[in-house]
Amino acid sequence: MTARPIAAAPRPYRFPAFEHQRLDNGLGVWLVPLPDRELVSIHLLTDAGAATEDETRAGIAALTAQLLVTGTRRLDASAFAETTERLGIEVGSESSWDNARAGFTALGSKLDEGLGLLAEMLRTPRLDPSEFDRLKSERLNDILQARADPGRLADESFLREVFADDAPYGRLSAGRPETVEALAVDDARAFHATHYAPNVADIVIAGAITADAALAAVERHLGDWAGTAPQHRTFEPRQRGGRRIVLVDRPGSVQSELRVGHLGIDRHDARYFPAMVMAALLGGVFGSRLNLRLREELGYTYGARCSFDPRRAVGPFTATAAVQTEVTVDAIRELLGQLDRIRQAPPAESELAEVRDFLVGVFPLRFETTGGIASAIEPLAVYELPHDWWQTYRSSLEAVGAEDVYRVARELVRPDEALVLLTGDASQLRDSLAAADLGPLVVIG
Amino acid sequence: MAQVPIQRHLLDNGLRVVLSRDPRAPLVAVNLWYDVGSRHEKAGKTGFAHLFEHMMFQGSANVDKGQHFSLVQAAGGTLNASTWLDRTNYFETLPGHELELALWLEADRMASLLPAMTQEKLDNQRDVVKNERRWSVDNQPYGSWDEKMQALVYPDAHPYHHSTIGSMEDLSAASLEDVGEFFATYYAPNNAVLTVAGDFETDEALAMIGRHFGPIPANATLPPAPDMTVDPLIGGGVRETVPDQVPLPRLYLAHRIPPFGTDAFDALDVAADILGAGRASRLYASLVREQRLAQDASVFVFPIIGGASMFALWITARPGVTTEALEAATLAELDRLAADGPSDADLERVNNLHAAHVAGALERISERADRLSMYTCLFDEPERINTESSRWEAVDAGRVTEALRASLRVDNRVTLTYVPAETAS
Repeated sequence: MTARPIAAAPRPYRFPAFEHQRLDNGLGVWLVPLPDRELVSIHLLTDAGAATEDETRAGIAALTAQLLVTGTRRLDASAFAETTERLGIEVGSESSWDNARAGFTALGSKLDEGLGLLAEMLRTPRLDPSEFDRLKSERLNDILQARADPGRLADESFLREVFADDAPYGRLSAGRPETVEALAVDDARAFHATHYAPNVADIVIAGAITADAALAAVERHLGDWAGTAPQHRTFEPRQRGGRRIVLVDRPGSVQSELRVGHLGIDRHDARYFPAMVMAALLGGVFGSRLNLRLREELGYTYGARCSFDPRRAVGPFTATAAVQTEVTVDAIRELLGQLDRIRQAPPAESELAEVRDFLVGVFPLRFETTGGIASAIEPLAVYELPHDWWQTYRSSLEAVGAEDVYRVARELVRPDEALVLLTGDASQLRDSLAAADLGPLVVIG
Repeated sequence: MAQVPIQRHLLDNGLRVVLSRDPRAPLVAVNLWYDVGSRHEKAGKTGFAHLFEHMMFQGSANVDKGQHFSLVQAAGGTLNASTWLDRTNYFETLPGHELELALWLEADRMASLLPAMTQEKLDNQRDVVKNERRWSVDNQPYGSWDEKMQALVYPDAHPYHHSTIGSMEDLSAASLEDVGEFFATYYAPNNAVLTVAGDFETDEALAMIGRHFGPIPANATLPPAPDMTVDPLIGGGVRETVPDQVPLPRLYLAHRIPPFGTDAFDALDVAADILGAGRASRLYASLVREQRLAQDASVFVFPIIGGASMFALWITARPGVTTEALEAATLAELDRLAADGPSDADLERVNNLHAAHVAGALERISERADRLSMYTCLFDEPERINTESSRWEAVDAGRVTEALRASLRVDNRVTLTYVPAETAS
């Protein structure tokens, strides 16, 4: 046979049914019973992300989330780790801009015991001064390490340079060294007391459960959790300046890490679906324009891509590639050229269909694991999306046409305003970038 | 723990086929392991197995450059490939009704890659792979560790002495003739395992496999596996200090150990988790949390089968901690475990964590397919997928101490110390 085989008829797939309710204390409960699974995933979400913290205490949300797993009033750090891990449970606790998340995946038989320990951790954490000092210094060390890593250095520098100072997104959600340095355990205690409360929390349980048993376990361990927390701050990010080239010197680099972009969309933007399709076509799949041009035609990079990072407020749109030093200027031109090209004409139907069919078709693959299903419920809780979000998801994608892609490309991709940030060896790059007429050049470091 | 169903078939051309049906989700995984990796590379051709893997996406007789990716993705599938010391694998996961697409694509490049090969494609992918090396090794803090470690753990002529990514010089030297010879030698059905896992009807799947792979001729002159024989111990401690663009020193230790598949390897796999998995692990509890000498710690064994494997760890110093102090404290924990053995609590902890990890990994049909291919390719025994947990549970304290004492010796240790470049002297 020499031609693509004809596909059989597809088997239908539906996102699993789930139940949602709210306990008297305000805790949202989302249950996804999957009787043919061995595992259960529990994600406990709290409106305690970096968007809730005081800017002078930037980083406290992340440190508090990490500090939770270092024990409870009853169990010190060592005993808490031993107790959970002997059940086969590795408890995670982390935060982003929009929420904090604690949870684990375990065999279904461990649900009640595991949930009990998770609830104990959230309600009566130890918040030990010595463990706080340790995690704080580990965080500062990690920032040191990140600045030696060209990709992480570029990520952090891009945020600082693309956002104006009046909104907090110009930093990592885990804070800056200056603010982290000033934090004390009392800040974590205050942050926990203020922001961890059932009225701003949701628990998602997906996997080997029955809804009745899971709800009973939630009631048992979290039903008498009391307290109320304030909502997160709101802010309106703005971009810092227009097109410029910012070169962060990293002597000895054999590649330049490029970050090119500007502000994008927030999570509730009405253009969400066309924006996702457009970004996939431009730089979200292997056969995207950026990857085909910079990798498969020019060989400048191992991979080029782009994406939006929609949050409660407007997050960045960023195109990314690590290119060998010698071709840096040409790679920037090519990348900007693709950002410009997508604004010039609607994509061909065949190109659009390939990307749209991928996003529609890959849908069930995202939900193979209990953790994947629990994660899919998260935006429903955090961003209060309609409960039929996943039922209508594929038809929303299928409705995106070439004119929609063209329209959002013109509205949302703005190469003339893009910040071009790169980390690389300034001694090799400075002159060629200055001569390239790509915009004013700033060299840092 | 639920058993993974297994059905084995052998085509006349020697292709080993493993089927594992699971209709819970309308998805199917196709996974091919070729019994060729960087250990099969000749002198002066390091990195070639991996460069060749890239060429497998550049088209074949009936598939254009880029079309392999675009057809699978347009079908709603994901795909990739990887090359390592022992093998090269290629895999797709896609909606079950598109099973035949993945089989056709894999068969077309196994049957007829060479008509699509051109110098231009080779030059392009050579540049891509060189950029992969720059990105993952040359421009990355601590990026050279595994290359250096392999070179020090294995003697010069051993097939594990060099890294899979290879050297820039050897990549530059790769030619179209090399592509042709490598393909003719190793990319044959009797040098491969094909696994299909997920939602399919067995008779239909077998018919498709026979239709697409059946006509591909075997390589009647498949070369014997390279000689991997190596002394069980390095036979003397080896030390190297590496100045690098790093803010914090990091210590890497490696030991030569019995290969993947042996009882001693299993015992050392358990020991690695006792030392390094989770916040209750020995190294995290002692060096990170209590003594506060280290920023992080990681311990692992390499699932490789040739002659000897490696037991390795890395641990990053906190600012102000000397590498000598860090090394002494790390060795004290290794010695303590070798001397006293693990406790019942240690074993219960790592067994339960391992069981949860295995269950989590096997939730994904792509991972099931990959492990079935692995166990078939390396041991001709796919059933090993169903004994992963019981093999772990069978490891007792005595086996852990015995394996540690046999392998974690001073005269069997490579010590690599990365230090900030400006303080190196």
